[in-house]
Amino acid sequence: MILEIKDLSISFGGVAAVVDFSMYQEENKITGIIGPNGAGKTTVFNLITGIYQADSGKIYYKGRDITKLPAHERTSLGISRTFQNIRLFNNMSVIDNVKVPYVVKIRYTIFEEMLKLPRVLREEKSIDDKAREMLGYFGLAGYSNYKPKNLPYGIQRRLELARALMAEPELLLLDEPAAGLNPGEVEELMKLILKIQREKKLSIIIVEHHMELIMNICSMIHVLDFGKKIAEGTPYEVKKNRKVLQAYLGDEG
Amino acid sequence: MFYLKVLEITSLYTILVLGVYLLTGLTGLFSLGQGGFVSIGAYTAAIAYLKFHVPFPLALVMAILMGMIVGLFIGIPTLRLRRDYFLLVTFGFGEMVRASLLYLAQLTGGAMGLAGIPKLVGLPLILVSIIVITFILYNLKNSRFGRNCIAIRDDELAAASMGINVYAHKIKVFLLSAAITSYGGALYAFVIMFIEPNLFNWLESAKLIIITFVGGMNSLSGVLVTSMVYYSFGEFFRFVDVWRDVLLALVVILVTIFRPGGLFGSWEIFSGNLLKKRKEEAL
Repeated sequence: MILEIKDLSISFGGVAAVVDFSMYQEENKITGIIGPNGAGKTTVFNLITGIYQADSGKIYYKGRDITKLPAHERTSLGISRTFQNIRLFNNMSVIDNVKVPYVVKIRYTIFEEMLKLPRVLREEKSIDDKAREMLGYFGLAGYSNYKPKNLPYGIQRRLELARALMAEPELLLLDEPAAGLNPGEVEELMKLILKIQREKKLSIIIVEHHMELIMNICSMIHVLDFGKKIAEGTPYEVKKNRKVLQAYLGDEG
Repeated sequence: MFYLKVLEITSLYTILVLGVYLLTGLTGLFSLGQGGFVSIGAYTAAIAYLKFHVPFPLALVMAILMGMIVGLFIGIPTLRLRRDYFLLVTFGFGEMVRASLLYLAQLTGGAMGLAGIPKLVGLPLILVSIIVITFILYNLKNSRFGRNCIAIRDDELAAASMGINVYAHKIKVFLLSAAITSYGGALYAFVIMFIEPNLFNWLESAKLIIITFVGGMNSLSGVLVTSMVYYSFGEFFRFVDVWRDVLLALVVILVTIFRPGGLFGSWEIFSGNLLKKRKEEAL
């Protein structure tokens, strides 16, 4: 078990966004979190990554309590993510975007950096190699010197994935990776997620509206509605669940 | 002689602009209190030299350290805040320094200022300083430090999620900027030979920011060139007086409309851009 969440709650100005949410994430598995708009899915991600601090409840990562850790420390422990509304660094080239998360591995000090001492050159060289390899892996090698905002949407999505993987995570959180993609691109994305999961030995949690994607690649699904978990189980079990149908289609389900 | 004087003053201001480039250009933090650091640097070095007979090089080091210590006191509580609050606090800080210098008249000479500072700094030292500072900033810009700066400027939340300790990095940036600015202030005292509490108000601090924007937030060379041009222009055309600022305002408006990325965009003189491109094409 790589991640364990126990009774996590947070509210914003009296509105309970997430209430007593618990889940387990097994290693090398893909888990989905689904639910109607405003159900609190992204909030769960923001709690896991440390953007928000929970009001109550605990988060354990590989057995360690990370509930109070700031976001950047969680990244260096091996939790990385993508964003629902793409958040690339638009004033940086594509390759520099990918280099940013490697900050968690860099060993040289700021003083060496000021004078560009050999260790800086050496490490920067290997970072450059790694970044190019990562871009190549995602078929983005041709775009290294572009600015992200000038790239097509689908490419930007893939770039976010490449950037997230540069932190060398063990747990990857994908926030609506299929949003805005056409059916062909969704098909590609599914294959890509399965491929990186297998080749990089990742545990993945996906928040998504796209049912086909969720049902096809997740081994476990959690369903949220109004901040509460209303169901969990395998795709088959969730599909049959009355509460889920009600949440999505309304009563009389 | 006149030209030498102009070049001296121009280069001095350029050191201050370099401090702002790091803070505002690269990291997106707006400070209207840079004048405070100029004064702190100038007064620390001058007082150490005149009243405590500290050797000149040591006085410079003391000015830098004092700037960084004060920077730490201002930075620790405010850099966690949103950027607009940071702007307000630094504005207040600059005015506070001015008021304190007036009030501590026994040490600082109050409104009368400090006179009798020997002219120990000439053009060579200033130019060497610019080269060294530019070298350091250029190195920082092109490795982890610079990537962190730009990431924070572009999207703080994403930067934190990508493993950057945003708060700690902002403090580093602020301290380094304070060090550069205080150093510039210390040199200033030993060039002008007379300092007074109003030597650098918030409007001057704002001008440093404007120059950074006109030159281009992503271009160290752009900021250097723009700063040299603006300040030497100011010295040559003293007779146009107020119109100087009108002209600057006009340039700012034109640049923001037609070249929002600054005059130089992200172009650098010394990076061998052409060379790099050719190499990449060959690959």
